[in-house]
Amino acid sequence: MNDTASHAHGRIAAGRRWLADYLGLGLALALLVLVFSLSTRHFFSLTTFQTIANQIPSAILIATGMTYVLLIAGIDLSVGSVLGLCTAVVGVGLAQGHWPAPLAILAGLAAGLAAGAFNGLVSIRWNLPPFIVTLGMLEIARGGAHFLTRSQTQYVGSALAPIVETHLLGLSLPFLLALAVVLGSQWILTRTVFGRYLVAIGTNEEAVRLSGIDPRPIKIAVYLYSGLLVALAAVIDTARFESANPNAGSGFELQAIAAVVIGGTSLMGGRGSVVSSFFGVLIIAVLNTGLAAVGARDETKRLVTGLVIVAAVIVDQYRHRWSQTKP
Amino acid sequence: MTIRISGLGGASLPRLAGGAILAAVWILASGCQPAGPSERAEPKPRVALIMKSLANEFFLTMENGARAHQRAHADQYDLLANGIKDELDVSKQIDLVEQMIAQKVDAIVIAPADSKALVAVAKKAQDAGIAVVNIDNQFDAQVLADKQARIPFVGPDNRKGARRVGEHLAKHLRSGDAVAILEGAPNAFNGIQRRLGFEDAMKAAGMNIISSQSGYWETDKANQVVAALAGEHPELKAVLCANDSMALGAVAALRAAGKAGQVRVVGYDNISAVQNLLREGRILATADQHADQLAVFGIEYALEMLRTRGTPADRETPVDLVTAPGPSPQP
Repeated sequence: MNDTASHAHGRIAAGRRWLADYLGLGLALALLVLVFSLSTRHFFSLTTFQTIANQIPSAILIATGMTYVLLIAGIDLSVGSVLGLCTAVVGVGLAQGHWPAPLAILAGLAAGLAAGAFNGLVSIRWNLPPFIVTLGMLEIARGGAHFLTRSQTQYVGSALAPIVETHLLGLSLPFLLALAVVLGSQWILTRTVFGRYLVAIGTNEEAVRLSGIDPRPIKIAVYLYSGLLVALAAVIDTARFESANPNAGSGFELQAIAAVVIGGTSLMGGRGSVVSSFFGVLIIAVLNTGLAAVGARDETKRLVTGLVIVAAVIVDQYRHRWSQTKP
Repeated sequence: MTIRISGLGGASLPRLAGGAILAAVWILASGCQPAGPSERAEPKPRVALIMKSLANEFFLTMENGARAHQRAHADQYDLLANGIKDELDVSKQIDLVEQMIAQKVDAIVIAPADSKALVAVAKKAQDAGIAVVNIDNQFDAQVLADKQARIPFVGPDNRKGARRVGEHLAKHLRSGDAVAILEGAPNAFNGIQRRLGFEDAMKAAGMNIISSQSGYWETDKANQVVAALAGEHPELKAVLCANDSMALGAVAALRAAGKAGQVRVVGYDNISAVQNLLREGRILATADQHADQLAVFGIEYALEMLRTRGTPADRETPVDLVTAPGPSPQP
């Protein structure tokens, strides 16, 4: 009797948490769509949503990696620059080296993994705050991108076109890939021991260590994963723009962090969800597309975007408290 | 269980690294010393070139052109080229000018990061007897008047260049067609001039400008804006971009929206990455300001000022329209 009661209790609490996690974000998204649909002629159309879906894969991938990094109470400020570096590697490989596309893509992915390995290994070996190490990588990778391209945008033409031109049900291959990464990463986070470790490290790393688990390989794996996802994003962007700009991705780190935090992931670690980050990216993308469709003035765009970020975090505070209270 | 990573002790390595960085900074700094004692005897003028962001292809081309010119005329002048990390780093650029004043250079050729904030320090250089030439981004006329400074501007007329690009585009459109403008960063002088030039041409041809938004000079931001506009305004016939990087983003957005070929795109700068798109007609036209010559024009003008000590006047440099079936790509 007691047992079933507490079981039911647990189910209600879990349901309530699920509701708090996704309903709030879904409502916020619906509200934005409603506002823009009423204020424009063509926003509420399949075309708009297809456009958004085909635009955000790289942001989704980066936000997914960032979610893992924030979960372990880390931070990765280098994602934008690493995107620029990987883009440069792919672009120079194709445009200057005339490499076959698969080789250029592999080289780009390797560059992302190398940057991730640097971030993880250096911060752990010398016990440095990832803020500083990844800030260093932000400069290193941007410098590398400019070094490789000699600061010139590389034109790659249709070498990577199949990546963006492959469609299934009106959705591009990159979007489907990003969706798969989100679902896979969420599954790892909630259903595997590795995922539990991520939350545990972010909550109390010392306790993890004292219980006989070495957090270091796990943390390195997280930075590697982030680097790999950024590199995938770089390949997608290079394919979309048919070109590699050494300045690509500047400022992406803050956009990614904003999207992840809008999704309710804590900057302090230990709490977060990849699916929520996906919603965060969607909210920012709908906001960007809607404001551009309206033709808003530039200062208005920045003002509104900033306010939405702050409002989302305030709402998240209440949402968090509500889901923690006993029913 | 713990993993020990063998190697140098934890304390000594950071210290070693610190020492190495100091040494590297020292070597770099001493390598940049402008003139050795042997050169001091010669009366060869020293020209300081102070650039905007060297992270930008356009400015890098400018600086490389200047360096090549100096190598070809090494007997005539020495060149000290300096740039800032990004275009917004105004205070760093002011510091650079002050350093050049302290170095007692003979002339300063400057592409100011801000058309107002750099006037005071440029005037200070002039007062110190240095010939100052303004390139790329023209100093604000009002501020110059306030400071009672006369600094010659040597450079292209961005508004005229953009108007020519717009006029070429207009030949491919019909009066009343819907067009959109993608501006550069909102506070950039050349971006504003290009927007005005596009507007001049579009209004003269009776086009309907349905939107004018900033793409911050960047491919991905331009891509977002054009994708949204293409959805919201199916009647859109052309996008005028204030630089070629944004034109690349616009082309990608139109292709993704299935509107490649239906919506014309024009750019500005004639960077190497758009050559193929120009040939394929996916970008209709762009403008070439001869980036590699822009700093050179300024340097030549400064040398002329040093020789003649004449009253400085502005000098306009050429802008060429580059159209679809245009000349062969630059090397």
